[in-house]
Amino acid sequence: MKKRIVPYMFILPAMVLLIIFKIYPIFIAIIGSLFDSGFGGSKAFVGIANYLRLFKDGVFWQSLKVTLLFNIFVNPIQIALALFMALLVNEQVKGINIFRSVYYVPVAISMTVAAVIWGIMLNPNSGIVNSFLGIFGISPQPFLTSQRQALPSIIAITSWKGVPYWMMFLLAGLQGIPKSIYEAAKIDGCNKLNTIFKITIPLLKRSLAFVVISDTITNLLLFSPMYILTNGGPNMSTNVLMYEAYKSAFSYMDMGRAYSMITILLILIFIVVGMQTRLLKADY
Amino acid sequence: MTEKYCYRDKMKRGEIAGKVLIYIILTLVAIVILFPLFWAISSSLRPDEEIFKYVTPFSAKAIFPQNPTIQAYKNLFTVRKFYIPIKNTIIVAVINIVLGCIVNAFAGFAFAKFDFKFKKPLFVLVMLSFMVPFESIAIPLYSLINKLNWVDTYYALLAPAIANGLAIFLFKQFFEDIPDSIIESATIDGAGWMTIFFNIVLPLSVPVTITACLMIFMGQWESFMWPLIAARSTNLKMIQVALTDFQMEHTTLWSELFAASIVTAIIPILFLLPFQKFYVQGVTDAGVKE
Repeated sequence: MKKRIVPYMFILPAMVLLIIFKIYPIFIAIIGSLFDSGFGGSKAFVGIANYLRLFKDGVFWQSLKVTLLFNIFVNPIQIALALFMALLVNEQVKGINIFRSVYYVPVAISMTVAAVIWGIMLNPNSGIVNSFLGIFGISPQPFLTSQRQALPSIIAITSWKGVPYWMMFLLAGLQGIPKSIYEAAKIDGCNKLNTIFKITIPLLKRSLAFVVISDTITNLLLFSPMYILTNGGPNMSTNVLMYEAYKSAFSYMDMGRAYSMITILLILIFIVVGMQTRLLKADY
Repeated sequence: MTEKYCYRDKMKRGEIAGKVLIYIILTLVAIVILFPLFWAISSSLRPDEEIFKYVTPFSAKAIFPQNPTIQAYKNLFTVRKFYIPIKNTIIVAVINIVLGCIVNAFAGFAFAKFDFKFKKPLFVLVMLSFMVPFESIAIPLYSLINKLNWVDTYYALLAPAIANGLAIFLFKQFFEDIPDSIIESATIDGAGWMTIFFNIVLPLSVPVTITACLMIFMGQWESFMWPLIAARSTNLKMIQVALTDFQMEHTTLWSELFAASIVTAIIPILFLLPFQKFYVQGVTDAGVKE
């Protein structure tokens, strides 16, 4: 199969579209961050002035702090829960297929729907969650309306939607582990907890690495729950960098600032994913 | 003898207790997952004035509607014209599916069955494009679309979504398993490459095509940030944007908001349910086989 041009004809449409709409915008952001520009208006090269401006900008530092804080908690929580759920539905008990199907349900539900429904459930005055907590004599909580509870609430909501998705990958990984290994472990008198930590998790490394990296990228760029539920508030406590970049571009019309924040986010992703890849020694 | 029996008995009791515990945990997790949806459905069937009336104290009344009505759904599809964003999203998704399957399957075919110069670097480019998440390029992409004068057009919603690194990857994986001999014998028979692709390769690739279709559909159905910035006009509004706009514009029409959420959630579930296996397998393959 050595027809010279044929393969190029086949990849041409996809490559052209990928380069224009997926790769080129990265360069628009990086180059744009070096210019002072409004939308479509005149551009002036300003070097790293946009970045210097950011470094003196309290809002930027606050957004970076929130982004990192959010990620330090949300990723380990989601991955631990996803692993727990995957192990749970990998148990061979009667009716497990029904539970599996139920657990997949949030995969088909958008973040927007999850945010809207949970937003009403977490309403401080008339939300069902506070009503439920009332059974146990817990006084009504402010949830999304308080500076201290807003970010944890968003972590909970995104986990409701996200954990089942990551569970799906880990379950696929678990199902790829030959049963004979477990049988051998059982015969050797290995108890369940030992089996999980000494056999299952090491064999699951590949799937785990994929989930850790993909989950981190997703959460570093998470935008919709903050847009829908808190507008970054209260008092900037949920103002992640992606949301600030969005506001910069579409509310303040300050593209230079937006592009430099996007570039910083891309660098952040690059660093974090690079570190994770090294730590997990996955060969990507 | 007795010792052995005792031991076995203990084991059994331990196993039963373990199983009971597993079922308890399974059920609790299932409740956490299903309750919000169940509650949203239940609330969507209440008249507006009843929505928060019975919330506290927590009781059966708080969970089940007392005077069930489907008025909210009726209003949603008449007064609020919620069918417009549904129609828009389905139009965009269907065009995206047709073009996306062709373009990405073409590329997957080339990567699977040909040797050519720059194959490796081009494939790295494909992988890179799916490692770089869409949100990170949404803002610069907007200026590009703006320059092309595509803001608020179907082009804005479609053009960036057609080529899909993950779909290319899945097609490539699948096509690699199709024996070369089938293709070679067709070439000897004088079939052109387009005939080979459409008449021989694609018919053999139904499962991966279904996966790709579902992925593309879900991508368009769930997309939020991109249509939010690139397609704001009413006659082009996509479903997730319509839902959040509804939430912001009609802050007190609770039952209709719940009805809108349920409609938005249920349509992809109906699409995915019969093909759950294809979707799960296709999506997870990308994570495991990479």
